[in-house]
Amino acid sequence: MRPASPGTGAREALGPLAWCCAGVCLLVLAVAVLGPPLAPGSPTEQVGPPFAGPGAGLPLGTDFLGRDLAARLLHGGWVVLALAVGATALATLLGAGGGIWLGLAAGRGGEIVMRAVDLLAVFPPLLLMLLLATGAPAGDLAVLVAVGLAATPFSLRVTRAATRRVAATGYVLTARARGDGWTAVVRYDVLPNIAGTVLADAGIRFVAAVHLTATAGFLGLGRGAPDANWGRMIRENLPGAALNPLPVLLPAALLAAFAVAVNLLADRVAERVAGLDTSGSDG
Amino acid sequence: MSWSLFLLRRLAALVPTLAALSVLVFGATELLPGDAVGAVAGPDATEAERAAVRERLGLDDDPVTRYLRWAGGAVRGDLGTAYTGGRAVHELIASRLPHSLLLAGLALAVTVPLSIALGLWAGSRAGRRADRAVSTGVLLVAGLPEFVTATALWWLLAGELGLLPRVSLVPLGGSPLDTPEILVLPALTLAATGVAVGTRLVRSASAEAVASPWIEAARLRGVGGARLAVRHVLPGALAPATQAFGLITGALVGGAIVVETVYGYPGIGLELQQAVAHRDIPLVQGIALVLCAATLATVLLADLAARALDPRRGSLR
Repeated sequence: MRPASPGTGAREALGPLAWCCAGVCLLVLAVAVLGPPLAPGSPTEQVGPPFAGPGAGLPLGTDFLGRDLAARLLHGGWVVLALAVGATALATLLGAGGGIWLGLAAGRGGEIVMRAVDLLAVFPPLLLMLLLATGAPAGDLAVLVAVGLAATPFSLRVTRAATRRVAATGYVLTARARGDGWTAVVRYDVLPNIAGTVLADAGIRFVAAVHLTATAGFLGLGRGAPDANWGRMIRENLPGAALNPLPVLLPAALLAAFAVAVNLLADRVAERVAGLDTSGSDG
Repeated sequence: MSWSLFLLRRLAALVPTLAALSVLVFGATELLPGDAVGAVAGPDATEAERAAVRERLGLDDDPVTRYLRWAGGAVRGDLGTAYTGGRAVHELIASRLPHSLLLAGLALAVTVPLSIALGLWAGSRAGRRADRAVSTGVLLVAGLPEFVTATALWWLLAGELGLLPRVSLVPLGGSPLDTPEILVLPALTLAATGVAVGTRLVRSASAEAVASPWIEAARLRGVGGARLAVRHVLPGALAPATQAFGLITGALVGGAIVVETVYGYPGIGLELQQAVAHRDIPLVQGIALVLCAATLATVLLADLAARALDPRRGSLR
């Protein structure tokens, strides 16, 4: 007997909540992507006293060094989202590649690789990020690689499981018996069947990647001052929250809205792709 | 498989795992092209001073020798000397780890009962309105990065309402228990995320248990309400949920780094964050190794608990 899916109806319409989330995602994306070309002033130039409230020419006031908060907000989202997208792409490529290979080649070598993957999964992602940040020179690449590597084991497990299910159906066996090469089998028999699972999984990894890249900014990893970064802006401006709360609240609100909306959306999508493990997303 | 054999096997597997993790920790920090000498000698050291530092730190040896020296020391409980401050790494860890364990313990003490209760309640009503409300609410909180939750709670409770101290300072040589109010905000932040994640996991395990034939049989016998939830659903849901709590404890490690940094709570996470900022490699390696060992230990404990709680093994009594 198939256990009832934990959600209600896996096939029901997306519903108003999901549409709201999609709207919020698009809005924050628009601020992050269109912000840098549209921002009126420089994000690094001092234009007033620190923690000044909103006033003429400064619609949102200034931050802890007296820089224009509006300009910094418009410039600061790009890096967080771009790193998260990059890390998700890295994790999905590595995970899907490795997962397909491991799912089809169930040999002795595969077992050893799986052990290594399990080992990497034990590492708390933030610890991995801090370790790479210590070893590598300060830069955004270290953050991207760390976040990508932290997500890879989960992607790989999901893809491997999906590939195994396909391999067990007999398409693969038939194709092999017909004389198709492995590339053709992967291209025509495996990929079309696991594409949905891999994409839904990428959504879940993206949620975790947004968390981690924002946290990296908050902890001061990656490209440092004076560049704007929503995560780091929260940390920088925390001491003056009593004078002007906007420099803390606005980046926090943007990050929170985006993270929550993406999380809800990814959950809805994952629900529709049966058999997807969502538990790894919260690490 | 008997208990002793199971335990022996798992403990034996722990040793090579930890050894492999130590290679990863060492490799990530030592072999990547970071500038350890510059961090110690200062940015405007002369070439001779830099050479002296390399000599003193033994950085001219080949990586394998350096790893073996470090790992050999670690086995004996000696993790080297921190670059900044010059204190022994194991002493620093020993002074900070109890603070973090206290915080994690408090967070778990809130997380576990609350997420079991909420998850069981929602899971027994899978698909109904109450379940949707809980599931969506929990998903909302789980979607927030920890530092955003921390900042929001800090701003609200310590800033606007002024109920709690803004910074979790521990008096020198004292214990956090001397001033218990400083523990509230960090523990609350960790618990918020923990409850969100935990409730989701318990809920899906309970929803699966509720859909099983033995629950249907119990319902047909006329069992219902709280009795059904506690006596019939919970035992089936608890074993998978326990393994999930192992995962949460792993996430607590990451959460502690963020939360301790936000509140300035003197635990091992704050120490690690500062060590990374100063590129204090021995300290980073030492703390990372201890955190890896702690994570492995929790996973093992969770597996043991899951095994003990699994009703199919009949070892609950």
